[in-house]
Amino acid sequence: MTTVRKRYRIGALPWIGPAMAVIFLMVLYPAYEMVKTSFMSIDPTGTSHGFAGLSNYRTLFRNPNLIAVLERTVIWTISIVVITVLISLPVAQILHAKFPGRRFVRYALIVPWAASVVMTSTSWLWILNGYYGVLNRILISFGLIQEPKQFLGSQTQSFTWLIVVAIFVSVPFTTYVVLAGLTTIGEDIMEASTVDGASGWQRYKHIIFPLLRPALLISMVINLINVFNSFPIIWVMTTGGPGYSTDTTTTLAYKISFRNADIAQSASMATINFGIILLFIVLFLKVSRWRDDS
Amino acid sequence: MKRMTRGAAVVSALTLAVTMAVGITPSQAATTLTMIAADYPGDGHTQQDQWTDFATRFHAANPDITVNVIVKSWNDIDQYVATQIASGQTPDVVNKGDYSAPAAAGLLYPASKIVSPATLADILPAFLNNSKYNGVVYALPDLASARALFYNKDLLAKAGITKLPTSWLSLTTALGIIHRKLKGIYGYAIPLGPEEAQAEFNIWSGGNGGTYYNYATKAWVLDSPANVATATYIKSLVKKGYTEPNPDKCDRTACAQALFAAGKAVFINGSVFLGSWLKSNGGAKLNVGTGSFVSNTGHKPVTLGVQDYFTAYSKNGNQASIQKWMDFIYQPANYAKFLVAAGGFIPATKSAGVKAASDPALAPFIKLLPNAVFYPGDIASWNSVKGQIQQGIGQAVTGDPAKVLGQLQTAAAAAK
Repeated sequence: MTTVRKRYRIGALPWIGPAMAVIFLMVLYPAYEMVKTSFMSIDPTGTSHGFAGLSNYRTLFRNPNLIAVLERTVIWTISIVVITVLISLPVAQILHAKFPGRRFVRYALIVPWAASVVMTSTSWLWILNGYYGVLNRILISFGLIQEPKQFLGSQTQSFTWLIVVAIFVSVPFTTYVVLAGLTTIGEDIMEASTVDGASGWQRYKHIIFPLLRPALLISMVINLINVFNSFPIIWVMTTGGPGYSTDTTTTLAYKISFRNADIAQSASMATINFGIILLFIVLFLKVSRWRDDS
Repeated sequence: MKRMTRGAAVVSALTLAVTMAVGITPSQAATTLTMIAADYPGDGHTQQDQWTDFATRFHAANPDITVNVIVKSWNDIDQYVATQIASGQTPDVVNKGDYSAPAAAGLLYPASKIVSPATLADILPAFLNNSKYNGVVYALPDLASARALFYNKDLLAKAGITKLPTSWLSLTTALGIIHRKLKGIYGYAIPLGPEEAQAEFNIWSGGNGGTYYNYATKAWVLDSPANVATATYIKSLVKKGYTEPNPDKCDRTACAQALFAAGKAVFINGSVFLGSWLKSNGGAKLNVGTGSFVSNTGHKPVTLGVQDYFTAYSKNGNQASIQKWMDFIYQPANYAKFLVAAGGFIPATKSAGVKAASDPALAPFIKLLPNAVFYPGDIASWNSVKGQIQQGIGQAVTGDPAKVLGQLQTAAAAAK
């Protein structure tokens, strides 16, 4: 009995082997290289000059923009994840209801999700363009503004627009996960609650929402990771500018590496980034009492 | 049955792996040179075509040497080259805008080893002087460019301005008139967005006696009083609405040149190739004049000279082949083709310079060159400091000039 099981396990190796190899080569090894690089001294040509201790981290912590960037990253991640859920819940509810043309609306919602984020961001960049943008044109023709506005000019405005676009691309995925959750709720429970005289709101609060929790949690964790690491939206629309005023830690790491030619310092930023996202996820799972459901 | 299937899968997977491994084993009989070249504006794909043509003809003449030229956009090339070196795939030849960092790291052949003495003698000494590190020429200038003040003649006439401003004071007055008389037109398009902020600011501060680097004290001086005063002056123009709004967001091509091409800006800092760029980007009908930049009272106007370089890396030990290839590039007939493909720059060789001096498009720039200031390209940390300047200096004219320049100075002093 045991020998059979053992053989069976070894026999599984050819099947899980490639997956394990991929994890080692594509995930663990690069992560190891990243952490190692963050302790090296590397000149702008890419030549390594050996171990540098904590000096990269020290330089990074002296960066006058770092604190603001960290704060912004937290605001960026939390606001997008929370607002996305707040929008997705009712949208999923609507798409769950039966109405003519529902299939069409469901397909339409996929578009911003299916389109490449770079494409979407580029479209928004042109919509918001301060000289030729279509949004300016619309607002002017309705007489709402007199002169074209620089939507991506100031820090507050451009950061707000970045968040709007990020929500725009996150909503479809979240909605679909919630929708999938909704379809798993059995008709019988709903009928039973109606028979027991529950109002619509009571039904949502006490039956639907608790049953949606697993789906909601999964989508939120995935969003958390995606949004935190989000690079293309910011890069395409503002390149983190003006200056460093719309950078998150992800774009800052990129700039340190490829604009300021300091690969090692960038690796230390990326390592810290990695730590932050782990912390984010652990905190989130704790707050949401993940284990209670599993 | 199940076992057999499993065994068959293992065997076929192994076979596949072995075939692939065999497939990618290189068969190196002759020398292969790798060159990474920046993509000059030209018009479209001319550069890639030109390099492919060069490589093909060179290979025909030297069958034992194959040259692979990888053309990269200016946005990506620094990053690409650094990544290649970091991952052990050092190229043999690189054509881009800097050389000092690899020279300082000891990665380069000196210029005397990458071209024959005859070719070296044909290169203009002024350009070779800007190609040294610790007194040794480590890079070969491939071409150069200079800037001039471009202006829209029609708009200037419309505003009733007949004389070009020569001092900051008269510039302020002229921009004020434009602001009052021409609604929706920006007097001066000042691109201090990341694309070319280091060039724009260098020209302005040069006209106020400012520089980025002090060779006497061997130190970066980004927050020198002259630079702070320059930023403060530009800030005053921005505040009055004499420039486009948000110059710190304005990139050279997509913003400043586009505004100028659309007839929405009167003055702009333009490079040698701006004329041809305007033709293919909607500014063909503009009535454009060129002049010298405006300086602060008591200072001479400057222009910015920019030269780019060929550098050769010694890691692969292909010195003899590299020299053949570089001599081939600098053959007058080939070099002329290179210049055309790049899009009308100032040549770096004596033989081509003679011809260029009679070219009406280039002549005014060549005349400005003696007054040109150059980037401190021979300082090892220049490329890194340039990145800092590009990201940050725009904020000096929208925020607090002294504070922003002070931060840049701190970062520059710490740069490797």
